[in-house]
Amino acid sequence: MDNAKPVIEIENLSFTYSTADKPALKNISLTIYEGEYVALLGLNGAGKTTLQLCLNAVIPNMIVGEKEGTVKTMGMDTEEYPPRELAKVIGLVFDNPEFQLSQMSVAEEIALGLENLGVPTEEMHKIIKDSLEAVGLSGMELRSPFELSGGQQQRLSIASALAMQPHILVMDEPTSNVDPIGKEEVFAVAAKLNKENKITVIMAEHEVEVMAAYADRIIVMNDGEVVFNGTPVEVFSNVELLEKIGLRVPQVTELAHLLKEKHNIKLADQYPVTIDQAEKILKQRL
Amino acid sequence: MADAIIVCEDLWHVYPGDILALQEANLKINAGEIVGVIGQNGSGKTTLVKHFNGLLKPTRGKVRIKGKDTNGMRIQQLARDVGYVFQNPNHQLFARTVEAELEFGPRNLGVSEEEIVERREKAIEFFKLQELRLLHPYRIGFPLRKLVGMASIYTMRPAVFILDEPTTGQDNVTTRTVYRLIRQLRDEGATVVCVAHDMILLAEVVDRMVVLRDARIIADAKPKEVFSNRELMQSTHLVPPQVAELSLRLMTAGKFPGIELNVSDMVAGLAGRLGK
Amino acid sequence: MNGVIIPITMVPGHSLVHRVAPLPKLLWALGVLIISFSTRNPVILGSIIVLGLLLVSISNIWKPFLRVIAILFPILLTLIVLQSVAPAFPRPWTPIVAFGPFTIYQEGIYSGVTMVMRAVGMTIFALVAIMTTHPSDLFVSLQGIGMPYVLNFILTMTLQLIPILQKEFATVLSAQKSRGLKGTGFGAVLPSMVPVFVGAIERVQQLSISLESRAFGSSGVKTSYRSVRMGFKDYILLALGFAATAATIYWIIVDKSLDWSRTLLFAPWLAILLVSLAALGFLTFALVALRYVLAA
Repeated sequence: MDNAKPVIEIENLSFTYSTADKPALKNISLTIYEGEYVALLGLNGAGKTTLQLCLNAVIPNMIVGEKEGTVKTMGMDTEEYPPRELAKVIGLVFDNPEFQLSQMSVAEEIALGLENLGVPTEEMHKIIKDSLEAVGLSGMELRSPFELSGGQQQRLSIASALAMQPHILVMDEPTSNVDPIGKEEVFAVAAKLNKENKITVIMAEHEVEVMAAYADRIIVMNDGEVVFNGTPVEVFSNVELLEKIGLRVPQVTELAHLLKEKHNIKLADQYPVTIDQAEKILKQRL
Repeated sequence: MADAIIVCEDLWHVYPGDILALQEANLKINAGEIVGVIGQNGSGKTTLVKHFNGLLKPTRGKVRIKGKDTNGMRIQQLARDVGYVFQNPNHQLFARTVEAELEFGPRNLGVSEEEIVERREKAIEFFKLQELRLLHPYRIGFPLRKLVGMASIYTMRPAVFILDEPTTGQDNVTTRTVYRLIRQLRDEGATVVCVAHDMILLAEVVDRMVVLRDARIIADAKPKEVFSNRELMQSTHLVPPQVAELSLRLMTAGKFPGIELNVSDMVAGLAGRLGK
Repeated sequence: MNGVIIPITMVPGHSLVHRVAPLPKLLWALGVLIISFSTRNPVILGSIIVLGLLLVSISNIWKPFLRVIAILFPILLTLIVLQSVAPAFPRPWTPIVAFGPFTIYQEGIYSGVTMVMRAVGMTIFALVAIMTTHPSDLFVSLQGIGMPYVLNFILTMTLQLIPILQKEFATVLSAQKSRGLKGTGFGAVLPSMVPVFVGAIERVQQLSISLESRAFGSSGVKTSYRSVRMGFKDYILLALGFAATAATIYWIIVDKSLDWSRTLLFAPWLAILLVSLAALGFLTFALVALRYVLAA
């Protein structure tokens, strides 16, 4: 990404929660560029959530601990701007669909952010309508958020973040508590927002096969550090190193790796990371 | 021939407000089986398994656990034979320490104090909870809390374990641990019923898949059969694991003999055909 | 405890009362509150009740209304029983009849009966206001007259949380029963509250981060999605409310003959009847409630 603008600049970031004895983040330096779809992988406790909370200034403003280094989101240093300022450029969606909701209707839920930004009432209706359309929930303005399915609730949270017209959308395991149909819906919306609306997406997830297909870049975290940072092919080719950390790679990649290691069969110059790639290669070879 | 430990005869369940959640369900689960129950949210899968420990009683039809009709029995009585591990461990855990949590179940069953301690120690060993035994359940991270939830049912020594989405939201390490534990439970003679969306769990761990859609059981077969059935998978919006899907596509193209459910089997199958 | 949902919520409808803006309704309820506490005159209190019931009729909210009254009224009956033997009233007291170790006093019964009338009157108007107004509109109106935004939000959130936490509690209870939890006594059920509270705390923590991330609490002008417009008739009703309350208070202060506490005499048989009925009513309710709770 040569001429792309950096939207997140992290330099030497370390963070220890005030109730913990060891750091949750250790000396992380990272740049994320405009329009990228970045997948954040790692075991529970690797630091993915902590890192994401640093991006919109929740850390250090709402959560206490020792922080070192700098985080700049769209040029704003998170030490100098509170989350409510950064809310204008970066939106956050969490893993529990219901815990993010509080209002009596879908429209009011989305309006919450707009009310706080002082958006004129007349403009709100259109913004709400557009946001719902972007996530595939058109016409649901009057429904109660608590009566929606998990997938719908997550899409509603995405719409609520979208309404503030952010440049960056950060999602922390958004499909963890969602059923398969809902998972597909959320992944599809994220991909669409990235490709069509040019929103930078940073998603922490465990679904490696899906991330291999959608993400431009994979960042792997372990024990508070970034251990891999590259394209899906670059990262997932390190099958054994990833397995040592406890992470798995897409099954087709594991397949190609085992064929090479155990049977000395090389499928292609690079390991396939998506099923389509694997299918193509094997159809030719078989 | 193993005995049927869970039997559903023409089981119907209608929730208040005339909501039909399950109809004409007929099912026999034998002791020692690992069964995966799947379907989209609203398909009736959770409704079905809640009948096994008495959380729900049939609107019509019968459910028998170890031959006994559940209709006359209370949840607390059925708890001796059927242990239900809730999806959200937070719904179960309330004691001061993990140890106390493990002792709660057997104590309710009237087990002797000696035996309670024995069972507690066995559970700690089985689930590898040594480091956590004196910690407060809420001070433990969520994935380990789920294991404590399972362990606290384990100490009740039920013949049947019902696991409600045991791997949902878990990372790879904990997920593998749960697969191992399920197999070990079966090795100890238990019957395990998992309600899950985890396709790899279904492909690699369970013996049998019961598929629900629109309040009915629409399939009850081995994983290979279920995953091979394209129509069935599509109608229930379920996607097979990547390797299974790959083998199916190659099979359709005439390049591969049959479906494979895990990476090693697929590797073996391909190695023969690719030779370099 | 599955079905015991607190039934105080808006009842959808298009009646005349529904169409009135929130502010006049709130004011009328407030006016009733002030008047009720200023007098014990049964005619005034009775008229308030009748007027209130008329409004209930117009708004067509009988069923949900009666559900609340069915729970509240028997509890209020204890006031009659207690007050009749220990009046919250300046001495001297006029004994009517002896009832076992207790003496029933004239002022006691009067006090008890009027207390119940006050409570009922206020409750009717409060319920009419709440049940015919969309909560969000209610809060927007309150905000309009100066209530802080955050408080508004807390109230909305609380309304949402009550049914959610009740469902959580039911789930926790079934989880514990699945672990063999015996007994339905309070002591057995109490530990089940822990997960519910922990869940609530985790939820609120998560929610607060989610809200901050949506600019909640930023300084500066806040706009509102829901707009509550006051029409001409709303202003009239508002003015009417002020006037009626002011006039009634004035009348109460000025006309001393309204105090019937020592002049409305209860015959002994009436006194005993009232107290017995009140006690019976309350006990029946208590037994039914207990059975209901234990059967869950």
